[in-house]
Amino acid sequence: MRQPQPRLRAAISLVVTGLLVIGLIASQWLLGDTPQQMQFEARLAPPSVDHWLGTDALGRELWARTLAGLALSFWVGSLAAILSTLIALSLAALATLSSRLDALVSLLIDTLLSVPHLILLMLIAFALGGGTQAVIIAVAVTHWPSLARVLRAELWQLRQAPYVRMSRAFGKSRWFVLHGHLLPHLLPHCLVGALLLFPHAILHEAALTFLGFGLSPSQPAIGVLLADAMRYLSGGYWWLGVFPGLALLLMVLGFERLSRQLRRAL
Amino acid sequence: MPGLPRPILLGITLGCLVAASAVQAKEQLVLAVGGEPEQGFDPLLGWGQYGNPLFQSTLLARGRDLTPQPELATQWSLSDDRLTWTLTLRHDARFADGTPLTAADVAYTFNQAANAGGRADLSALDKAQAVDEYTVTLRLNAPHITFVDQLMTLGIVPHAGRDNGYSEQYGRQPLGSGPYQLVEWQEGEQLIVERNPYFYGPAPAFDRLVFRFMGEDATLSAAHAGQVDVASVPPALAANLPAHMQRVIMESVDNRGILFPMQPANGELAASGAPIGNDVTAELAIRQAINLAVDRNTLVEVALNGYGRPAFGPADGLPWSDSDERLTAPDLAQAEKILDAAGWQLSDDGLRYKDGLPARFRLTYPSSDTTRQLLAEASAAMVRPLGIEMQPTGRHWDQIQREALHQDAIMFGFGSHSPQEIYYLFHSQHAGNGFYNSGFYANTEVDNHLDAAQAAESIEQANREWRSAQWDGSTGYGVRGNSSWAWLVNLEHVYFADTCLNVGELGVAPHGHGWPITANLLEWRWTCE
Repeated sequence: MRQPQPRLRAAISLVVTGLLVIGLIASQWLLGDTPQQMQFEARLAPPSVDHWLGTDALGRELWARTLAGLALSFWVGSLAAILSTLIALSLAALATLSSRLDALVSLLIDTLLSVPHLILLMLIAFALGGGTQAVIIAVAVTHWPSLARVLRAELWQLRQAPYVRMSRAFGKSRWFVLHGHLLPHLLPHCLVGALLLFPHAILHEAALTFLGFGLSPSQPAIGVLLADAMRYLSGGYWWLGVFPGLALLLMVLGFERLSRQLRRAL
Repeated sequence: MPGLPRPILLGITLGCLVAASAVQAKEQLVLAVGGEPEQGFDPLLGWGQYGNPLFQSTLLARGRDLTPQPELATQWSLSDDRLTWTLTLRHDARFADGTPLTAADVAYTFNQAANAGGRADLSALDKAQAVDEYTVTLRLNAPHITFVDQLMTLGIVPHAGRDNGYSEQYGRQPLGSGPYQLVEWQEGEQLIVERNPYFYGPAPAFDRLVFRFMGEDATLSAAHAGQVDVASVPPALAANLPAHMQRVIMESVDNRGILFPMQPANGELAASGAPIGNDVTAELAIRQAINLAVDRNTLVEVALNGYGRPAFGPADGLPWSDSDERLTAPDLAQAEKILDAAGWQLSDDGLRYKDGLPARFRLTYPSSDTTRQLLAEASAAMVRPLGIEMQPTGRHWDQIQREALHQDAIMFGFGSHSPQEIYYLFHSQHAGNGFYNSGFYANTEVDNHLDAAQAAESIEQANREWRSAQWDGSTGYGVRGNSSWAWLVNLEHVYFADTCLNVGELGVAPHGHGWPITANLLEWRWTCE
């Protein structure tokens, strides 16, 4: 039997993931304030017909909180990935303007890559005082170097392409070449790069929040749910950690798969 | 040695070995009963203010009925003008280096503590003087009824002029005459202490104590893994008892409640740079409505798993608290009436507004504290139907100090064996004094009652004034007066302790910062072989 074409497989993945994301976003309107609703008489209830994924210490439904957490992670991850991609693209473009700027950008990339991700993340998030904005900035600022390196290499290669050299020979400005020839060529790379960054971004957001440097403990973020679950785990309340953890894992794996297939297809 | 056959000798040897190893197992106790003091174990900077300084001894001890008992001082008296304390010291007290503790050390400690500006408030002290080797006098500026509490909490340090005397490093290398001496302190990890061989009191049953400093979840995991002998447990997580442990409940005067910023925000900053004031909580109607809306019995069940009781004041049940200070709550109808009368109108978005100002403010709590998080989230949900939105916000303590302390409602905890704490919490003189009176509460009438209490001739008269500060029929800091707080619950402290450990008869604990369960450490016994 013939394997489906990479483009077809990528398209199927894109449609499925897109539908899931739309469902996730739509669920937030349908949920209303369900994730925050407390049922004091049903505290720490295990999964059952009445409470699908169980409840937490204040009797809040875990399924609703997990969905809300995934949506929050999605927004934070998306914004951080887009911001990160923009930083990577800007710096890669800057590097093509002169060899001095290129050396500077390369130095910046090497420096950032040599510092462990999580430590830098914690430092930035702490310095910015925590919260959603701080997490988005911290994740964006720490995740661009790998993509920037790829884009920079691609740009250097493109500069030697005949049509670019012709364009330069005809006296077109550097800005025109960059804007008219190089950047359009880079867009597919950026799309795949952003998609590859996304699972990293949400994982690091969850890690940062889990460690207490990220989102507020009163927000139903996946990191918060997992950190709360740790306190109750030794008491046997396994559902508090298992379901949000699984949901995060599935989301990360889903986007990882999509970005892999898109890379092959493009 | 003639006569004894080899198998018997072998048996005796093995028996000795087993006995020796059993004794070995009892020599060390591992405790995870709270955090470590940031400023070290220096009484002049605040160590021991919640009792039981461990390394040092105090002049007097606090009995179970909270009355003064002999400790370093065997006799004590207060002059008729209530200005001079005279204390006679025991002759057998020695520091852990073997040198005797004398009146010069006591005088030095009190004079230094008065100048150090630490948590020990000795502003009432004029001068401490050693009359002879074992007699010391403490002269006050003015009569001060709670000065006796300093005699029960200030640990005595060695005079700076002697060998191993007090220095700036003292907090890291404390030398005292208490039952234990410091061996090693790895900050953020553990503290190891060993028995002080020169301690004048009964020898503790355990040669060595290891205090582990861990978060709540790590403490619970360590308890379940059998790595600690005593673990302090948040009441909400105390349901599942590890197999080898018993649940130890300690009564306390430790309370939790919401402190409200009392002034409107006018751009003023505290000395720390933190903004002062909150336009919403500065409104009496808002504070009264919140006090009426919270269901304290439910909070005890939800946040404390039943280990506690409702709170209506900072010292419920103590002689300096008004026992009539109660509210019939929850009473949402009454709360709505108060809000309506004060001009807080309910809008279509479910929130109340007054002159365009929404009834919305942050309720900040330390994010590492499960109990306070549960209290903040549950009480915010209870208040929401009124049209008041308290936004539970978890932050680190240093963030709270830097930004939130004077402008957010704070989920605080206090509780002391001394009415001195009431003075700190509600006297305008202490507005913005660290965590005390961080809401900048100021009421001249209350100040007068608090000052009158300090200057009172008798404990009974002082207690009457303390109670009047809470509510004197027309005003007060309490729930019938300015409603400066919404006190929520009084805690019982919950510990998991090894089933072999007998912790004796526990007293009533103050707020949990000073490892209160160790107050009767000398009575602890290991009951298993």
